[in-house]
Amino acid sequence: MKISGQTSRPGRIAVSALPDPTASTMRLSVFDTFRDGRGLDALLVLLTLVYLIVFGLAPILYTVLMSLQQVDMFTLGDFSRPFVGFANYVDVLTRPEAGMVARHTLVFVALSVACQLVLGFALALFFQQDFPGAGIMRGLFLAAWIMPGLVVGGIWRWMLAGDNGVVNSLLAVTHLHPTKIFWMSDPATSLYAVTIANIWLGIPFNMLLLSVGLAAIPKDLYEAAQLDGAGPVERFRSITLPMMRATLGALVSLSVIFTLQQFDLFAGMTQGGPSNSSNVAQFWSWQLSFQTYDIAGGSTIAVLMIAVVIGVATLYVRSTRHEQIG
Amino acid sequence: MMKTTALAAVALLGVCGSSLRAEPLTLDFWSVDQDGQYAYGMAKAYEAAHPDIKVNVRRVQFPDMVNDLARAAMTGNVPDISYVDNPDVALLASRGALSDLTGMIAADKTIDMESFYPGPRGAASVNGKVYAVPRGANTLALFYNADMFKAHGLDPDHPPQTWDEFYAAAKTLTDPAKNVYGLAFSAANSEEGTFQFLPWVQMAGGNYDHINTPGAVEALQFWQKLIDEKVASPDTLVRGQYDSTGTFNAGNAAMVVSGPWELPRMSRDAKFDWRVALLPVKTAGGPRASALGEGTNVIPTKAKHPKEAFAMISFMNARMPTVWNDFGFLPASKVDVPDPKWPAAYKVFATALEDAKVRGPSPDWVKISKPIQTAVQAALTHQTDAKTALDTAQAQIDRVLKK
Repeated sequence: MKISGQTSRPGRIAVSALPDPTASTMRLSVFDTFRDGRGLDALLVLLTLVYLIVFGLAPILYTVLMSLQQVDMFTLGDFSRPFVGFANYVDVLTRPEAGMVARHTLVFVALSVACQLVLGFALALFFQQDFPGAGIMRGLFLAAWIMPGLVVGGIWRWMLAGDNGVVNSLLAVTHLHPTKIFWMSDPATSLYAVTIANIWLGIPFNMLLLSVGLAAIPKDLYEAAQLDGAGPVERFRSITLPMMRATLGALVSLSVIFTLQQFDLFAGMTQGGPSNSSNVAQFWSWQLSFQTYDIAGGSTIAVLMIAVVIGVATLYVRSTRHEQIG
Repeated sequence: MMKTTALAAVALLGVCGSSLRAEPLTLDFWSVDQDGQYAYGMAKAYEAAHPDIKVNVRRVQFPDMVNDLARAAMTGNVPDISYVDNPDVALLASRGALSDLTGMIAADKTIDMESFYPGPRGAASVNGKVYAVPRGANTLALFYNADMFKAHGLDPDHPPQTWDEFYAAAKTLTDPAKNVYGLAFSAANSEEGTFQFLPWVQMAGGNYDHINTPGAVEALQFWQKLIDEKVASPDTLVRGQYDSTGTFNAGNAAMVVSGPWELPRMSRDAKFDWRVALLPVKTAGGPRASALGEGTNVIPTKAKHPKEAFAMISFMNARMPTVWNDFGFLPASKVDVPDPKWPAAYKVFATALEDAKVRGPSPDWVKISKPIQTAVQAALTHQTDAKTALDTAQAQIDRVLKK
């Protein structure tokens, strides 16, 4: 196609001076850049960025904003709310239950992550052995993982019920603990009741991720070690553990984040009770926002939790970076 | 020519008129009821009586009602009529979300606020203005298993009258070997816990704003004794009223503190002679108290058809005598209920209602209720003693009330 019509216009000299083939190449390259080039890169980055800003950054910033304002149900849709500075933080942190909730959150996360990891690792190693049905049984474990949290909470609530729970009945029949344990109504055990349920819920995910990591370790390493006379314990210590470092780092970070998100089990089992003995930060935040309509207080706890999660996420990013290099 | 135009105009008017009539006015009605319950039943009856009005009932989950109404008040997308739970009326009214009905009620004359029991009437008004019309009421009483009474040598015709008799009966009826507790109630970490605890405080001389009186401490110590001596299950702390009553129906508890909403389920599930008595008083001749449940009908401030909405509320109020038989709750006003179902139970609950007190009213009710629940649970689990627990609650409540 000729663009000779433009040649007569002085202002377009530069364009018109271009020979025709170049013009078509140019048009093509504009298309090309969005198909496979810088344009595409920019487009993809832009889409991701928009997504992250709309669904990630904006809600977080809005939560931070609410934690600095006086907010309740009736001023939720209004941006012009009185700013109160850090008064919400002072208010939340000086409440009598604040220290207790922080301690419970720490115990809940530490116990959950540690037990999930150890048991998940043990199961992953077990199913790594070649025996008939290993694959199917490993698959069945995932059933626990796909169950909705509220259902899991409801079922554990029945199993751990003090008077007619199956767990107490088993403990009595086996003479391990002949008297009834009131798992959820005794403040000494209520947090552990939820923790046990959460450990059970998290094992499959841990096992799955660790299985993938184990499968990626070259078999000849083990064979060579065996030839050198290394026993199973030695092989685990000097091959499996170092090779799994990146996977373990990533898994621990993810587990911490998931455990800090665990809400359903508390809602389904103890409601944080009795008298806050099983209350943790994430459930307290919800209680404040939606049970007592103190949305500013709830947001404040959420912001404090985000700070922790960002710290953990940084560790996660670093451990995955290590994975790429290794 | 003139004639034709006139005819056409008349025809056009006719068309307009009939199309107006063909499109009935729609009233939006939010409620926590399920199909077949109050709002749906009333909507059907009202539509039958008023063919020009259509009632669109929308179900809102009970815990979401205040949230949804507050959001609706902000966006202006409010229903014409809504259910609001008794203690929440003050909150919504104080934030301008509810229409002041005082004038309409005075002009209309079909609703007489004086006819309501003091509890429901108190819940409906804030600072002398009426923002809600009680739709019904429920309250607490003592259900007991008469067969178990007989088996343990207790007289089922004389249920316990005082706290001491109540405790003694519960103790006698407790049979760990058969997995039977003397009593079931709810001390859950929720509004249900407050609902069940306040009557005991009120009987002993105290209330939500005086929660650490010596009487209130005694009430909490009485509850402590029931749990400590295992005449009620420790799981009382995590069970709601529905689950507690379930253990009674199953024969795992000989008595239960619960309300009339359980009657349909109990008559189906409980395979024994169950009866109802008033809650025992602290000492013979002492003041009675009971909790006030159920809720009200309100018109949100920005409702599109407030006049029609009020007409329907008035219609529903006129049907107060039917709520016991049709929907399983007590009339909120002193009306005659012809031929009530479960007549003995009806009599007891109707008597209990006379001493039923509304929780609050306070626009910050939830912030008052939470410290009470926490205090009850802290004392029942012996994390603190009853006095300290209630002192802490009182300090928190004072902070809320002085705001």
